[in-house]
Amino acid sequence: MRRLLTVFVLIAGLPFSIAGQELRVPNKPDSVKFAVIGDAGTGSSAQKGIAKEMATWRTRFPFTFVVMAGDNMYGGERPRDFQKKFEIPYKPLLDANVKFYAALGNHDDAALQRNYKPFNMNGERFYTFKPKDGVRFFALDSNYVDKTQLEWLDKQLAASGSEWKIMFFHHPLYSSGETHGSAELQRDLLEPLFVKHGVNLVLTGHEHFYERLKPQKGIQYFIIGNSAKLRKGDLSKSGLTLFGTDREYSFMLMEISGDELFFQTINERGQTIDTGSVRRVGKVEPAPGRTTQPVVPQARPTPAQPGPRQPESKSTPSK
Amino acid sequence: MKVSHLFTVALLTAACGGDPAPDRSTYEASEPAATPAATTGEAAEPFSPAPDPAEKGPQISSAPSAPLVTPEARAKGVNPHAAILADFKERVDAYMKVRKDAIKDAPPLKETSDVTKIKAAQDGMAAQIRAARPNAKQGDVLTPEIAAQFRRLLSPELKGDDGRDAKEILKDDAPSAASIPFKVNAKYPDGAPVPTVPANLLINLPTLPEPLQFKIIGKHLILLDEDADVIVDYTLNVIR
Repeated sequence: MRRLLTVFVLIAGLPFSIAGQELRVPNKPDSVKFAVIGDAGTGSSAQKGIAKEMATWRTRFPFTFVVMAGDNMYGGERPRDFQKKFEIPYKPLLDANVKFYAALGNHDDAALQRNYKPFNMNGERFYTFKPKDGVRFFALDSNYVDKTQLEWLDKQLAASGSEWKIMFFHHPLYSSGETHGSAELQRDLLEPLFVKHGVNLVLTGHEHFYERLKPQKGIQYFIIGNSAKLRKGDLSKSGLTLFGTDREYSFMLMEISGDELFFQTINERGQTIDTGSVRRVGKVEPAPGRTTQPVVPQARPTPAQPGPRQPESKSTPSK
Repeated sequence: MKVSHLFTVALLTAACGGDPAPDRSTYEASEPAATPAATTGEAAEPFSPAPDPAEKGPQISSAPSAPLVTPEARAKGVNPHAAILADFKERVDAYMKVRKDAIKDAPPLKETSDVTKIKAAQDGMAAQIRAARPNAKQGDVLTPEIAAQFRRLLSPELKGDDGRDAKEILKDDAPSAASIPFKVNAKYPDGAPVPTVPANLLINLPTLPEPLQFKIIGKHLILLDEDADVIVDYTLNVIR
């Protein structure tokens, strides 16, 4: 009887399970496709599990590069650590010529990692790259936000024109984490530049959970510091939170097509835990306190499909 | 961030005459700015391990140093704070010159997939730097006057909400002071977390040329050559 019940439950749950493994980004031929991980360099079974899912999902969604939001290497950084915590877990992706672009976290040896070719930092602690016309990424060193970096960023952002502007770095400027919380000191210095130049998207780690935040001053923020580490119970969902989980490891798939960016967040079992998109509004004249290209959260899952589980807000939503 | 930061930054910029930020376009490597020759710190004692502050308790840096603001300068009305920061820049420039000369024959630190080669280049660079300044001692760069000036610059930032945030960040994933060798020319330990420097503190300190960075371990400040992982100098109890 119990066996029969188990079979029934499995069959009943099958459509949801399959739906949870559906590709939920459009996968258009000419789009920019990439993946995002954070706090991944442990060498643990969790890292391997996520890496395996990344390779599996790439067969359906051929992303060409991976953005790393820091803490790429925990503990020792000997040659064998680079193998155990990077080269072996991501071997299928590296073999398929998927490029990794790293930002530095507080556990990372900067001199080693910036010169480690597979991290594509070109010897710099902050840098920019452009995978395709119209889309530009900026890797920042949020461990050391000095005047040199701020001046560089101001200049680079000013030169980037109407491109999508995507930041990735370690410390989250907004966070509902109890252990760390929002990195307000970095925010005081970085956010004015983001707003001034119309940054669209910010990807960070440091907190060992996943959180999709409400757009702040027209900028969409994600925390994806759970690609190998979890701090269960640390996410105190707040008015900032649109969706989040501190119970699952995850990585993100992202796709930029025109003025829309689609995302799908996937856990270590290959199940989709969050999906959606953000649209950047066309050209808007800059004004004090307003981004030139604000983003607007878009797609919501239909009730028939599993998708983001809505958080229970503890406080009033931010403006 | 307070409006006072802007004044502080302006003062530091004026005092230090900071080189313009490297124009790093996409994947454009930057070289440390060439710096004019300057006097090196006054050599004196042979290299010897410094006492472990964790064992002896916090101490104020007391290395001897020539007074930087001479009576003549004071008489001419030189801003003593600006003069101290200008002196710091000279000392940093002097280190950068010694460093540049020291590593010119060392294997270059360049991008490679072979971590062993990066480590070897780092170690080679560190060895050359140590050999070029065997008599370097605490206080050569961070003189007592400069350390006192840094304390003055940081003190307002350690108060109020920003100050509390800064102190939290300093504790966050940071190594214990006992795990870091407070010793000039020592290696920053492999695998030790590199503490984030609170942005409000950093913006109030002079801008350093790459690859020098300030690191704050507990209450103490280290001047680190990040490429070589060499502690160039340190001063204790900067954070109060």
